[in-house]
Amino acid sequence: MNNLHGLVFAYRSNKDLRELTQHRNTCSIPFGGRYRLVDFTLSSMVNAGITDIGLIVHSSYQSLLDHVGSGKDWDLSRKHGGLRILPPFGYADVISSDYYGRMDSLAGVRSYLENIRQDYVILAGGDLAANLPIQEIYEQHLATKADITTVVTCQNVGEPRSCTYLSSGPDGRVTDVFVHPKSPMGCESLEVYILSKQLLLSVVDHCTTHNIHSFSEGVILAMKDRLHIHTYEFGGYVGRFHTVGAYYEHSMELLDPAVRASLFDPRFPIKTKDQSNPSTYYGLEAHTVDSLIADGCKVEGEVDHCILFRGVTVEKGARLSHCILFQGTHVGAGATLQYAITDKDVLINPGRMLMGHESYPIAIAKRSQV
Amino acid sequence: MKKECVAMLLAGGQGSRLKALTRHVAKPAVPFGGKYRIIDFPLSNCVNSGIDTVGVLTQYRPLELNSYIGNGEPWDLDRSDGGVHILPPYLGENEEGSWYKGTANAIFQNINFIDQYDPDYVLILSGDHIYKMDYADMLLQHKRTGADLTIAVQEVPIEEASRMGIMNVDEDDKVYEFEEKPKKPKSNLASMGIYIFSWAKLRKYLIDDEKDEKSSNDFGKNIIPTMLGKGEHLHVYRFAGYWRDVGTIDSLWDANMDMLATDDGVNLFDDDWPIFARTPTQPPHYVGEDATIVHSLLTGGCSVEGEVEHSVLFHSVTVEPGASVKYSILMPGAVVRSGAKVDYSIVAEDAVIEAGAVVGSKPTGADDWGIAVVAGGVKVGKNATVAPAAMVTKNVKEGGKA
Repeated sequence: MNNLHGLVFAYRSNKDLRELTQHRNTCSIPFGGRYRLVDFTLSSMVNAGITDIGLIVHSSYQSLLDHVGSGKDWDLSRKHGGLRILPPFGYADVISSDYYGRMDSLAGVRSYLENIRQDYVILAGGDLAANLPIQEIYEQHLATKADITTVVTCQNVGEPRSCTYLSSGPDGRVTDVFVHPKSPMGCESLEVYILSKQLLLSVVDHCTTHNIHSFSEGVILAMKDRLHIHTYEFGGYVGRFHTVGAYYEHSMELLDPAVRASLFDPRFPIKTKDQSNPSTYYGLEAHTVDSLIADGCKVEGEVDHCILFRGVTVEKGARLSHCILFQGTHVGAGATLQYAITDKDVLINPGRMLMGHESYPIAIAKRSQV
Repeated sequence: MKKECVAMLLAGGQGSRLKALTRHVAKPAVPFGGKYRIIDFPLSNCVNSGIDTVGVLTQYRPLELNSYIGNGEPWDLDRSDGGVHILPPYLGENEEGSWYKGTANAIFQNINFIDQYDPDYVLILSGDHIYKMDYADMLLQHKRTGADLTIAVQEVPIEEASRMGIMNVDEDDKVYEFEEKPKKPKSNLASMGIYIFSWAKLRKYLIDDEKDEKSSNDFGKNIIPTMLGKGEHLHVYRFAGYWRDVGTIDSLWDANMDMLATDDGVNLFDDDWPIFARTPTQPPHYVGEDATIVHSLLTGGCSVEGEVEHSVLFHSVTVEPGASVKYSILMPGAVVRSGAKVDYSIVAEDAVIEAGAVVGSKPTGADDWGIAVVAGGVKVGKNATVAPAAMVTKNVKEGGKA
């Protein structure tokens, strides 16, 4: 138990994710064979001993609610504290349309913020694939006596036009902020912040009264000289998902053992909704190489360089290479798929052929039949 | 609150015939079928049959079983009304009470537990069989026939009948005789150790049996023959589905291999009758570039870079490049290093087979048939050999033989 409260922004919908976000928001996109993106942030928080987490949602959150449920899979189903889902508080004169930025969503849950029982709050998006050492970041925050600690990666993993970059002095203090530049400048902000509850309330009020929507601009950029804003450089693996191409690329990175070791560190397990699937069965003619395969699949065909989620069926003679198959995808006998992403419960009829390209993988929407 | 039927699961069995596999755990907690433990089958059957109150009677090495069952959440048995309860033996007033002496004594000592729910019927189960059964259907028959005791039976080949408890029945399936391991069996209906009693009747017989000092307080040896003798109505419930006793190394290995035929026997993929288990969250398993996996079951956290054929791998198993695993069962965390060969074996939790070691071998006939067993945590050194049917409970040194 530490003195830190988690707030997860779980409402972002990115239009460049096309079919993947047709039925869900970015945080509930399936990733890594059995997870949803939000699992990484939730698990990182829980693994740091955080017991109270608020999940800020806005629209298309049915799939997210179904996934997190009461929070019991993260041990967050608690009488006191635990997981709180925070949908928009949509009457009176409070925001009822889309959140333009994080400040809007924070203003929307201001009364919740006031009741936080911890002195410090960590803000993080629910759409990062990273196993963040939050305990360590928190300890650094206390040691440096910073007003705000912000987590950066110097590996440039996101789409520059959707990212904020920070440059910092040798003491780690933020010196400049670049919002949505054309190309990366300095280190990429993961938009994960630790600050005190009091400071959070005061910046929320400041931004509401000044009609400022963005945390990066309204707080980090505007207050960098007034406040002590410190960076924490995270050296582990980070996946960010701004486009279908990025999603595909990050997924395939999981076939690299070093990436899996960083993301799935057994000391800090990533937890997810339990589904009680049986094991995966490989048939007599199965031929599978270089792939990541979840439970409950039946593989009778050829699978090369693929990621299979739970309950996928690959019939005899089917050939898959460089594909990502979401839960319940059924690939009929003799079908051929290359560079394809099939969403949940897609049916590929026998003998069909689908070919995308590494630079433009084809995504097939949920429950489609081919 | 009153319950129509309460299940009592006898999970105190030592499982001594499983030897090395039950050194630290009770038999019902032995891993099975890639993701399960034996007890998951009767527990899941209860839940799928609509029975939400289950007492689990433990006695032998209960720690792992207790933490496995926990609050019953994986089986939806974490309930405010009913749910799963671990029932170890205990001492009461004036130090009354003792270890569970026999199956019937175990239930006798928990009469108060059962009485809390004031049930009409009590279902008695054991934790050493792999099967799927709808107990609700059995209960329906019990009510329809008005029996005092219904015993689930399975037809077995007549030559096997002399090793089992056999029910001799009339044309209405009413039991007129019970024979334990008869030399000349009159029928082939073997008891499956699954009983539904009308609670008022069982309660009375348990109390009477306890007064009889000569009794060994066992259902098969005492309660059932006594009830028959007193003219109570005993009925059989015929069950024709997959049912296997997994009390020996060979039968445990065999039943695991049956799970590879996903469409017959116990279909683990059937969504209408799921078998639930408590499993740690592991990432999907990784299949390497030079791996071959054929006719096998794999689950989370495994990493396979070698050859796996006709085998069942539990979570977090590693098979390094050039290693080969055939007709074997690798329990959670087992490691098979480069160039090692594992055939017709059971490698228990966290055991390590070092590079170039050979464990078990493919039998050529009945004479050299046997499953090699490497106990949990044991290390089989580089280039060491473990003979077929060997039972290894201590580390084998480099180049050694066991």
